[in-house]
Amino acid sequence: MRFLKNVFSQLHTFVLWALMSAILWSWIFTMVTDTSPQKKVQIYIYVDELRDTDLAVYLEQDLPDGIKMVKVHPFTYAMLNVDLLENSDLFILPASMVGEYEELLLPGGEAVKVYDPDTGSGAALDYISYSDEDYYLYFGAKSLHLDDGAAKYVADRLLAS
Amino acid sequence: MSANFRELYTDAELEKLRRKIKAWTVALAVISAVGLAVCVTLAVLTNTANARRMELYTIAVSIAVGWFVIYCACFAVGSSRRELAHAGTLRDGERERTEGRVTVTRQRLRIKKSITAKRVRVETPDGESLFWVAESRAPLLQGASAVWTVHGYVAGYEVAK
Repeated sequence: MRFLKNVFSQLHTFVLWALMSAILWSWIFTMVTDTSPQKKVQIYIYVDELRDTDLAVYLEQDLPDGIKMVKVHPFTYAMLNVDLLENSDLFILPASMVGEYEELLLPGGEAVKVYDPDTGSGAALDYISYSDEDYYLYFGAKSLHLDDGAAKYVADRLLAS
Repeated sequence: MSANFRELYTDAELEKLRRKIKAWTVALAVISAVGLAVCVTLAVLTNTANARRMELYTIAVSIAVGWFVIYCACFAVGSSRRELAHAGTLRDGERERTEGRVTVTRQRLRIKKSITAKRVRVETPDGESLFWVAESRAPLLQGASAVWTVHGYVAGYEVAK
C-alpha cells in the first residue's frame, strides 16, 4: 500500500522518464540502423503486406563494396514525408499506380515485371504479398546507385529470390 | 540541561544516517552505470534482423532501471536526506524546555519535501503545549518528563529518574 502511495506521489516523474527513454533510444536506434544515402540502397514497395525486415536481411547478403545496408520500406513509410520517395533507388509498383509516381521513376528506364496475377509467379513471394494485378520494378530517377551498379545488383537479387 | 537529558538524534545516529545516504548514492550510481552499459551493449549488437527487438529490449531496460533508481532516490535516499537536514536544524537551533506529562498522539503530518511528524502533547500545570516529533523518533518519548524543542519540533527530551 505504501509502495503504491509512493509511486503515485511521483507518477509524473515515472511517466516523464518512460517518455524520455522511449524517445531517446528510438532516436539512437534510428541512427544506429541507418546510414548515408551513398552507403545504402533503398527500395519502396507499394503493397499492403510486406516482410520488410526479412527481405532486407536477404538482400543485404554479399553487398557490393561501399554499400552497408539495404532499406526496404512500404509506401506508407513515406506517408508523412513524401520527399523520402524521391531518393529511393528502386520501386515496386502495381500497374495502376505507375502513372501517379511516374516522375519518381528513371525516365526511359526499362520496367521489369515482378508479379503476374494470372500465373501467380513473381519475385520475393516469401516476403511480398502482391495484390491481384501486375507489378513492375523500376529504378528511381534520383538514385545514387545507378552508376556504381549497386541498384542493379540489389534488383537482380530481388528478382532471383 | 539536566543529567537526564537525551538528544533526539545522537552523533552516532547522525553518522549512521550519513553512511546510509553515501551507500545508497554509490549503489544507485553503480546500478545506473550497469543499466547504461547494458543498453549500449544492446545497441552495439543490433543488426537489420534484430533491430526492432533490440530497440524494445533497450527501452524496457532503460525504463526499468530508471524507475528503480528514481524510486530509491526519492524514497530511500530522499527520506534519509530529509531526516538528516531536519536533525541538523534541531541540533543547531535555539531550544526551549517544556516540562509535563508527554504523550505522542496519533495525529500525523507529512510536510512536503520534509519529514513525517507526529503530534506531541505536553500537559503542564498551566495547560497543554503541542509540538511535533519526527515519526521515526516518536517511540523515544515514551516515559519522557520534559521535552526540548526548536521551532515547535522536539529536539531532545528528559526522562524521569
